[in-house]
Amino acid sequence: MEAAEFFQYVIAGLKSGSIYALVALGFTVVYGSTGIINFAQGEFFMLGGVLAVFFAGLGLPLPLAGIAAVIMTAAIGIAFERVALRPQRSASPIVLIIITIGGSMVFKSLARHLFGPDELTLAEFTPGPSIDVAGVAIERQALWVWGLTVIAVVVLAVLYRKTKLGRAMRASSISHDAARLMGIDTARVVMVSFGIAAALGALAGVAVTPLTQTAWDAGATIGVKGFAAAILGGLGNPVASVIGGLVLGLLESLSVAFVSSTYKDAISLVVLLVVLFVRPQGLFGRARREKV
Amino acid sequence: MKPTKVLALTAAFMLTVACLPVSGCAQDGGSEGETGTGGEGEPYRIGAVLSLTGTYAGLGIPEQRAIDLEVERINADGGINGRELVVIYEDDATDAAKSQAAAVRLIDEEGVLAIIGASGTGQTMAMRSDAERAGVPIVSMAGGSVITADFSEWVFQTPWPNRIVIPFVLEEMAAAGHTTVGLISDTGGYGVDGRDIVLATAADAGVTIVADETFNAGDTDMTSQLTKIRAAEPDAVLIWAAGKEAAIIARNARQLNMEQPLYGGSGIARQEFIDGAGEAAEGVRLGTGKILVPEAFGEGTEAYAVATDFIERYEAAYGTPPDIFAGHAYDAIGLIADALERLGSGDVTSEQVRDALEQTSGWVGIDGTFTYSATDHNGLTRDEMVMYVIEDGTWRLDR
Amino acid sequence: MTAIKATLRRLLRAPYSAVLLVGLLVAAVPLVSPERYVLRVMVYVGVNVIIIAGLALLFGYAGQISMGHAAFVGIGAYTSAYLVGPLGMPWLAGVAAGTLLAAAGGLVLALPALRLHGHYLAMATLGFAEIMHVVFREARHITGGNDGLGGIAYPEVAGYAIDTPLGMYLLVWGVAIAVLVVVANIVRSRPGRAMQALHATESGALACGVDTVSLKVRTFAFSAGLAGLGGALYAHSVGFISPTTFGLEQSVILVAMVVVGGTGSLAGPAIAAIALTLLPYADALIPGLSQGTVAVLQDWETDIYGIAMILVVIFAPAGIGGLIRRAWSRQPAGAGEVRT
Repeated sequence: MEAAEFFQYVIAGLKSGSIYALVALGFTVVYGSTGIINFAQGEFFMLGGVLAVFFAGLGLPLPLAGIAAVIMTAAIGIAFERVALRPQRSASPIVLIIITIGGSMVFKSLARHLFGPDELTLAEFTPGPSIDVAGVAIERQALWVWGLTVIAVVVLAVLYRKTKLGRAMRASSISHDAARLMGIDTARVVMVSFGIAAALGALAGVAVTPLTQTAWDAGATIGVKGFAAAILGGLGNPVASVIGGLVLGLLESLSVAFVSSTYKDAISLVVLLVVLFVRPQGLFGRARREKV
Repeated sequence: MKPTKVLALTAAFMLTVACLPVSGCAQDGGSEGETGTGGEGEPYRIGAVLSLTGTYAGLGIPEQRAIDLEVERINADGGINGRELVVIYEDDATDAAKSQAAAVRLIDEEGVLAIIGASGTGQTMAMRSDAERAGVPIVSMAGGSVITADFSEWVFQTPWPNRIVIPFVLEEMAAAGHTTVGLISDTGGYGVDGRDIVLATAADAGVTIVADETFNAGDTDMTSQLTKIRAAEPDAVLIWAAGKEAAIIARNARQLNMEQPLYGGSGIARQEFIDGAGEAAEGVRLGTGKILVPEAFGEGTEAYAVATDFIERYEAAYGTPPDIFAGHAYDAIGLIADALERLGSGDVTSEQVRDALEQTSGWVGIDGTFTYSATDHNGLTRDEMVMYVIEDGTWRLDR
Repeated sequence: MTAIKATLRRLLRAPYSAVLLVGLLVAAVPLVSPERYVLRVMVYVGVNVIIIAGLALLFGYAGQISMGHAAFVGIGAYTSAYLVGPLGMPWLAGVAAGTLLAAAGGLVLALPALRLHGHYLAMATLGFAEIMHVVFREARHITGGNDGLGGIAYPEVAGYAIDTPLGMYLLVWGVAIAVLVVVANIVRSRPGRAMQALHATESGALACGVDTVSLKVRTFAFSAGLAGLGGALYAHSVGFISPTTFGLEQSVILVAMVVVGGTGSLAGPAIAAIALTLLPYADALIPGLSQGTVAVLQDWETDIYGIAMILVVIFAPAGIGGLIRRAWSRQPAGAGEVRT
């Protein structure tokens, strides 16, 4: 295989990997603060893309449409948490899973009713030919995807380290009860976490829709892959989630290169199962000992 | 929980449920469930299974429009043999399982005489067993060769099947000097059927397939597959797919800075492809029927008159000219209407409709001039094919 | 009212009276509404009851979530269709093989997965189901790929083909009744009580000497087997299967049925299965229903499921089963409600 071809696959892998990273971050932020796995995370991705198309269709210039989509999805995430999840704070994990599953079904269905069953397109942020680097073609939109991912990660890092809210979130992720005892408003932490997770998912959706188009059912596959990326890295650890996302993207892309395109989708699933069964804490997590 | 309680409750519930049809039964005329509602004086009921949503929506919607247009015209002219023509639509959402369920519903519940459909090859094949078991003819609007090659007494086809289109396109590609070709096809019925025929006929057409990649319906990014094709350095790339993914493929190819010309068949002869691919659609060549530029029929021929009349009426009703799928549908409903007319005004069964279809001879439609027989349920030849090139966002004959 | 209830109760307690009663009702349905379409719809309902019985046992009683149960349905369906069709095996053998292979699949998944809990278990079952979906789609020579497998043979017992909607209806419901009896018996007996203990508190159950691992694995395999049985029957009665029939959406709907039906109950999920399966086919039951209304119902089907699930879980966690219990029991509902 020539170098140009190989690096073309690497670029493709990093492109989809960034998307998985953003979605994985969403899973991690929620899990870290609440211990819940949000089965509706994929739907936040879908809502970002779909709402961006909607706002662009209303006449908003593209950047505003994107920002509006992200903000609105964040609001939906917060609303969902307050209405459906907060009252059930103390319920068993299964109940919370059911609620997020139900939420995801409703989001999907509403999206289909409101925005139609067909594919929706969004213009590229900066239209133009792909950039050629030694025989490897890099789409302009891919640069946007990477750029936005980096910005999101940096903002999140700053949030976690420098702000009071961020410290509160980190405390919550170590121990919910201890944080409450220390006077941290954990309810607010949970709410903010959902908002952030929704915003991250939506950002991914907006960034990638010009490349892949979007539709009401775009959330399911991304959700599963994003989760696989999150636990591959180690659920609860933001940096690990990003790395997990990039690794998963590369694995997928290189599997097409060296194996075949048919089983591309299965790669992330196999990764998911292998990690769950062999090393549930992921590459970077610490093993949790279960005390009987 | 005690088994007795479980069963009692389940049974009670079922009894309630079962009673509902009784209350409805009194009102109903009881004409459901019989095939062949062709009773004297009653409307002719035809079913139509189309993909109005899903990846083939771009096929199903013009098909429905064409059928509506024709049914309206026929009924306004007094119907067939003085009886109204009624078409009952089902959306299969491009899902073969839904097509089959739709066929069952149309046959068992609506008692239709014939079924037009489906928009897609896999979806058509899914309906076959039920149609055969019930003895109801299907007139398909899908282009898979298998629909009539895997012969069934009950299945007819209006488009040009892959076994006609593909050798035509391949020979055109060879004639243009592209002797090595990279193929990308989808894994649905039409794509699989197409790929099989491409691989089987390439050598005879003078073309070598140097790359062979596939994608699944619903995939949103085909750059990996195209990277592989690019690495094989073919003279041209052949796309064999009918869904909206084709537009993404064209865009991906451009984004990869691929310079090879793109070719395709009827599957990409859609405005949706041009809209979705944008600039990437320029210069794409495809082989399909003559409806896109009706002058190809030859001005002065009956086919030209039929085509221009249809185009005029369709455009007046819907604001856009009809595409090849509207053409397939026009032919399907037209052939059925023609068969019904020949059967006269007495009672009609679905088997009689099938027999009458087989007697179709020289019927001039949009896809071509149809002559069916007991062994030929497609009736078209390569003469119906022309090559187009997409220029300035529309199709021109490729001379 | 209590006198009527008491009489009913005594009647129903007579041995096998309930089975007779249900048998009569099952036989009554085709007499009352013999249209082919209604019977076909009731076949789907019966299939779902079989599948739900297994899932109710696993999820409702033992508390183990399975987010990919439709995959087991698919394994049963494809196995039976392939063995009976291209390989020409007798129908009973095909169905048995489908059931066993699905159970084996459940076993294979359960062994590693049941060490996980809650979310992780849910995700593992989801991952397994998605992998099976890819297999169904890609193993084209066996499964026909995305476009599915058609022309599946009719059921054939002792040389007689069951090729009418009535025959298939009786076959499927006969099996469904047998399954309900068996599962109800399991629930009442030792394994059932062990499952409920497990659901309530795993460490407690362990302390009481319940082999929790073995119980979980066996329950998972059994419930997967029932799903496979349902799948095999579905394949032969509908005649066409494709990967979308066994996808994630179907799995979630199955879970929704058990949630709405209520955990710790068998009748609840069975009734939920019947009601929710019939929802998109409302036109079979109410012939006057316009196609437009049916289309709307089918369109909003998933919304109804999703919202119903959330509402039930928040406001009426015991679901339909809980409602039944309250109506049936002599004691008024309250804290410390006893589960039967």
